[in-house]
Amino acid sequence: MAGDQNPNPPRGDDDPPLGASQGWSAVAYLIGGIAVWGLIGWMVDRWLGTNGIAAAVGAVIGAAGGVYLIVRRLGAK
Amino acid sequence: MLERPAVLAAEFPPSVEEFFTPSLIAGAGDWLTKFTLYTWVTVALLIIFFLVAYRNPKLVPTKTQWIAESVYGFGRNTVAKDMIGPEGIRFAPYLTTLFVFILVMNFYAIVPGIQISPNSHIAFPAILAVISYVMFIWLGVRKHGFGKYFKTALMPPAPWFMMPILIPIELFSTFIARPATLALRLFANMFAGHMILLVFTLGGFALFNADSLWIKPLSLLSWLMAVVLTFLEFLIIVLQSYVFVVLTSSYIQGALADEH
Repeated sequence: MAGDQNPNPPRGDDDPPLGASQGWSAVAYLIGGIAVWGLIGWMVDRWLGTNGIAAAVGAVIGAAGGVYLIVRRLGAK
Repeated sequence: MLERPAVLAAEFPPSVEEFFTPSLIAGAGDWLTKFTLYTWVTVALLIIFFLVAYRNPKLVPTKTQWIAESVYGFGRNTVAKDMIGPEGIRFAPYLTTLFVFILVMNFYAIVPGIQISPNSHIAFPAILAVISYVMFIWLGVRKHGFGKYFKTALMPPAPWFMMPILIPIELFSTFIARPATLALRLFANMFAGHMILLVFTLGGFALFNADSLWIKPLSLLSWLMAVVLTFLEFLIIVLQSYVFVVLTSSYIQGALADEH
């Protein structure tokens, strides 16, 4: 824009927006991992008649996968 | 203030029915309720404001022009440029429009006499989230091609034996959780904000109508809380519109990025 008068000085700290969106995607990975693999485990439970063991194992695997994804996708490159 | 008598009759506690506003004109159905009216008013306000502000731009801006330029400068520099990078500037008009639209829509939540935001009805945030969802997928597919986009989006840099575990998580978090959380976050904040204000305002009436003389003065405390929470609600209004555009631009950035 010609004659763009920006009263706010250019924000040197571009951390807040970046940090916010990274935070949300980290949360999504964690919860997503537990939810997806917990659900798969729960379905295995119903299929095999195991009493919640597969769901528990699934949730743990999902949590581990979520943490792994956070490290790979959002960690230092 | 068309539907207010029902509220002043102080049905306490308030229920979800508050969010299904009746038709303003008989026969119009859901097409003309308070919510749709406010939405059209928002659209009209924004169009008129920006047209007037930019109608006769001066080198030394007038106050209206200055406000409009500040708002656009925020959308262009702080959101589009900082989040997406130099190539993000072409999204600045959309992101700024999205920001001011959500901001004004949310703002109805604390306008005296209105005090309910259309965004407290899931339909409005849902449509906005669908636009962002279609937009980032479309941009990613257009830039990288269908196969490559979904390959980079779904396959993280990891050894092959981790893939079966990771791909479902990526699928869920990128293509299911993103639009759902985007819509729910805005909706739930506005819904809860309206509920809280209703509880304290109507709760004041309920306390005032109480039989015991000792309880009546507590209604003042309840109304004071309503006023204080209105200020908190203002903070949430600004924050949620900001979060919505920041996340939308971060999704666009992710779709356009050349993945590792």
